[in-house]
Amino acid sequence: MPSDHVLSDLRVLDLSRALAGPACTRMLAEMGAEVIKIEPAPSGELARRFSVQPNGRSLYYVQQNLGKKSVCMNLRDPRGLALVTELVPHVDVVVENFRPGVMADMGLGYDRLRELKKDIVLCSISALGQSGPLSGKPGYDYIAQAYSGVTSMIGDPNDAPYIPLVGMGDVSTGVHAALAIVSALRYRDRTGEGQHLDIALLDVYYHYHEANVHVHSASHGAIEPTRAGRHMTYACPGGVFRGKNGYLVIMSFLHHWKDLCRAMHRLDLVDDPNFSTDVARLQRRDEVIQIIEDWLQTFPDVPSAIVHLEEHQVPVAPVLSIAETVKHPHHRARGTVRTVHDPLQGAFEMPGMPLKFSGFPHDLPLQAATLGQHNEEVLTTYLGRSHDDVQRLREAGVLMEKEI
Amino acid sequence: MTAGLNHCLTGLRVLDFTRALAGPTCARMLAEMGAEVIKVEPGPKGDMSRNASTFRNRRSLFFVQHNRGKKSLCLNLRDPRAMALVVELISQVDVVVENFRPGVIASMGLSYERLKEIKPDIILCSISALGQSGPLAQKPGYDYIAQAYSGVTSMIGDKDEAPYIPLVGLGDVSTGVHGALAVLAALRHRDQTGKGQHLDVGLLDVYYNFHEVNVHQVRASEGAIRPTRVGRHMTYLMPGGVFKGTNGYVVIMSFFHHWADLCKAMERPDLSEDARYSTDPARLERRDEVVKIIEDWLQTFPDVPSAVAHMEKFDVPVAPVLSVEETLSHPHLRARGTVRTIHDPVYDGELDVPGFPIKFSEFPEELPLQAPRVGQHNAEILSTYLGRTPEEVEQLKADGVLIEKPY
Repeated sequence: MPSDHVLSDLRVLDLSRALAGPACTRMLAEMGAEVIKIEPAPSGELARRFSVQPNGRSLYYVQQNLGKKSVCMNLRDPRGLALVTELVPHVDVVVENFRPGVMADMGLGYDRLRELKKDIVLCSISALGQSGPLSGKPGYDYIAQAYSGVTSMIGDPNDAPYIPLVGMGDVSTGVHAALAIVSALRYRDRTGEGQHLDIALLDVYYHYHEANVHVHSASHGAIEPTRAGRHMTYACPGGVFRGKNGYLVIMSFLHHWKDLCRAMHRLDLVDDPNFSTDVARLQRRDEVIQIIEDWLQTFPDVPSAIVHLEEHQVPVAPVLSIAETVKHPHHRARGTVRTVHDPLQGAFEMPGMPLKFSGFPHDLPLQAATLGQHNEEVLTTYLGRSHDDVQRLREAGVLMEKEI
Repeated sequence: MTAGLNHCLTGLRVLDFTRALAGPTCARMLAEMGAEVIKVEPGPKGDMSRNASTFRNRRSLFFVQHNRGKKSLCLNLRDPRAMALVVELISQVDVVVENFRPGVIASMGLSYERLKEIKPDIILCSISALGQSGPLAQKPGYDYIAQAYSGVTSMIGDKDEAPYIPLVGLGDVSTGVHGALAVLAALRHRDQTGKGQHLDVGLLDVYYNFHEVNVHQVRASEGAIRPTRVGRHMTYLMPGGVFKGTNGYVVIMSFFHHWADLCKAMERPDLSEDARYSTDPARLERRDEVVKIIEDWLQTFPDVPSAVAHMEKFDVPVAPVLSVEETLSHPHLRARGTVRTIHDPVYDGELDVPGFPIKFSEFPEELPLQAPRVGQHNAEILSTYLGRTPEEVEQLKADGVLIEKPY
């Protein structure tokens, strides 16, 4: 039965794999939707082979597939594919993240899905989008990031750029897709019309440029935004500073500059025209950084500098390692990090559901399915198959089940 | 006007108290999908971002990019008459969005409990850096503050060097999108049950949710894996990262079955059979060596575009590291509207901004949205929703309760 939450009436058929698509359907599951995940036989989706896999159970899979039902079938067998088309009329939404065109090749293009269910919402997630000259190219997170210009904004100007070792493009694209779906459902409920949604990592990454694009455009090319190290380019100071035995982020531009000057006992800098405005400070960026980093060296360590800065209301944070985040009291108190109990793996930590609802203060008790765990349930509940029918499909290799 | 534009969210009405970036993005996402968004701006200057990136006619392009399609109601919020107008408006909207520091909206007399008294099924979406609860909640926060607390900053750069920050507002913008998702999900629930609620969306939580492997690896490896930044290449698949080409950089993602394709492209089929290189774990153990083989080979091309073109023939997932300038004229980004050109009447010209990142088959054209001038819709909102006469509006303007500016 669907869980009680904001989307508990919603049913989703999930053909996605790896990260962006599964992040989308997991967000829906975390809000109560029933998600039926179709996995290809014999080994299930790609991510079941990613990351650490004690007992053959991929934690990557567990993290991104909480709360979904697994139906594992041989999609090369026409009987397998027929079961998928039979399921379509029972769901509100289909989510996929194959390379553009693959769904149509499988006989599951939007037009076909609409024949099966008139008001279906199909959400297609891809790296570079369903349209445009790059559309057919194979894509992953960092491919889209490179094409978006975001990679060009990370690192030192005269050196190779860096990539953040975090799946932010994929996960955020999944969230964009979930938003598109809920929005399209609102339209469907009002008008009876479904639609095809096209969500791409490239568009999502590009959307992150809060100023770079318009600044280049409005300066008629005079400003060429590029990576500039560890500090912001349109406000100062804002960035990563070296403290004793570690690093911290200080954001003390605008009115916060005064607070930082007080904290540094350098009130003279508040009114000094060389330093009093962001524009002036940006012109002396290296000097400003030097003043702050020299002063930071007077503390025994980063935490003591932070405590002092916080007393003066300066926006500041330590650059926490992952291990530090896992036990941080704030992250624990908010459920930013959560401990999940997997039946095969036991307890481990993963990121929490990032949306908090006052109507549903607790995370739903979701589990990741073993491969094909819900074959029988889905076929009997929605497709009217008997236990014996299911058994025959199992023996014929159309349905597959494994304890992974 | 925008109230009548046909899109997914036509009919939805939002009161927007946000400023800067994360909150405005949330409300703009709703406006781009057809919602009517009434932005309440504090007099005399309006949203603080109206001072950021101004190029002409005192018009902030930062404001334009992030506030398209909203109506501006500019009020002197220190005047009790202004607050009374706000309270009156709340009963006429579905959603309130705010991104003050936690506690501020309550101290303004607009806590969730108070809003609920005014409109029982109201949805209040509170966006903040570190969240509404927990020991860090009260600290002042910006994007990179939350990023640092999330551990994401610790994953960017070289291991023995200071980390880098991406010079892109990705935490704020993405959090705005998360906020919009929470709002629409909560509306669905409201429509079915009659119950509103208070949504708490923090940049820290959003950034943290981006860790696809780092967090679960800590305990599962019993401390053996301590995820940290390790330069320009992925840690759990190989090769995947930034490679140096001739006169530029290229991203190559040729792990798994893509390795065989890359070996073909390099005319090194021997490497796809060689046990030292044939699997991702084997290649990860020889990461520097694999990077060197690829980078040496890349130097045999005159430039990055020719290397990219060659690899694409072999279906290797590859991309040039485009500069922002290059993205503006790229045919793919133009064809999809990933970059779009908008015209702003106050700035009096065209400019390029990122496109709307969601493409709907039912609405293939973007809505023709404009960003408002300060207080542009004062009279419209007061007459439409609050039944004030032109004379009353004029009086409130003369008393400094309503504020309007030509930019």
